[in-house]
Amino acid sequence: MRLGLKVLSGILTIASAAHAGPQTFNSALPVAKGQFIFREQLLFKKASDDPSIQNRNLNVIGSVSVLAYGITSDLAVFGVLPYLNKRLDVTTPGRRVTRDTNGIGDMRLFGRYTAYQKDMPGKSFRIAPFAGVELPTGDDNATDSLGVLPAPLQLGSGSWDPFVGVAITYQTLDYEIDLSASYKANTAANGFEFGDQARLDASLQYRLWPRDLGGGVPGFLYGVLEGNLIYQDQNKIGGIADVNSGGTTLYIAPGLQYVTKRWVLEAIVQLPALQKLNGTALGDDFIFRSGFRMNF
Amino acid sequence: MRMIFTTVFVLALTISQTAFAGQTYSLQVDGLACPFCAYGIEKQLLSVDGVQDVVVDLNAGSVQVTMQDGSTLNQATAKQAVKDAGFTLKGFNRAPE
Repeated sequence: MRLGLKVLSGILTIASAAHAGPQTFNSALPVAKGQFIFREQLLFKKASDDPSIQNRNLNVIGSVSVLAYGITSDLAVFGVLPYLNKRLDVTTPGRRVTRDTNGIGDMRLFGRYTAYQKDMPGKSFRIAPFAGVELPTGDDNATDSLGVLPAPLQLGSGSWDPFVGVAITYQTLDYEIDLSASYKANTAANGFEFGDQARLDASLQYRLWPRDLGGGVPGFLYGVLEGNLIYQDQNKIGGIADVNSGGTTLYIAPGLQYVTKRWVLEAIVQLPALQKLNGTALGDDFIFRSGFRMNF
Repeated sequence: MRMIFTTVFVLALTISQTAFAGQTYSLQVDGLACPFCAYGIEKQLLSVDGVQDVVVDLNAGSVQVTMQDGSTLNQATAKQAVKDAGFTLKGFNRAPE
């Protein structure tokens, strides 16, 4: 029962940004010194693009909780904890079976430092590298009536996986552009190793309303268009590459975001515009994300 | 009689407000470009001793800081508060009394 790349990659690339900005990756926007930002994002992922005869259908429902804290205005730390329910329907010889699991996934902890900042009237340009680790907090040995679940269906990887990246943000009163490049080095656990992941992300947020700014701090309604180019190397089972895993996916993601001084409401849907996956790796149909952020 | 009473009351209220209104400062802040970021500025400035009220105007890139009666705000303190919020202080003016 090979699941291939896409079972987990859409979850492991969960957005971890907590301030206003892109919905599927990090921005370089500041978290003020001593300030907390909480974010909750609900997600629904469906993957049924199955080139094999197993007619696999994967549904993932989850929530992702993010807490950010500004140690200084330049240095912020983030904690990201997902709670997931994964359900896979697959045709095996003789019958169709369902396998599912739910619980907390792997937690991410990371820090981000604003290395370059240029502020102008109503505009800001920032570059902020970040680095962290994904901790094996999710169950990586869950079983059901058919035995131990395959590694990609587990809630956690069981491994400590470091990642690094850089976020670049250019923000004006009318629009915002964000870019990010990151790399995650997955390590082995239980004889299984997810392929390393490299990704490039971009986001454009354009203020749709109000058309003209008055005084004070009005709420902004942004139209959002994001793109995520994700490459994942092949998984390894017992040190041997799984030829039915890994590949490249490009998501195009339209969305909306309403931003006020204290909170943000947002929703976005990631659609796979390009999926060049290896072998019989399972492809995504879509990932829908919606949630809120709060300042305190 | 009613007119006189109303006039006296309004006059007393005005005098009272003037007497207890603190000094106001106008800060010009660079980098402020979204509503969510404005909260950080408010929070940092409100934590400064003597600050009574903070009003942000995003479009103008300005922040009005009203002090409690008898308190003043110096430029270095304002600059640090704005920096702690993640932005850059470009202008600092004390409003005429």
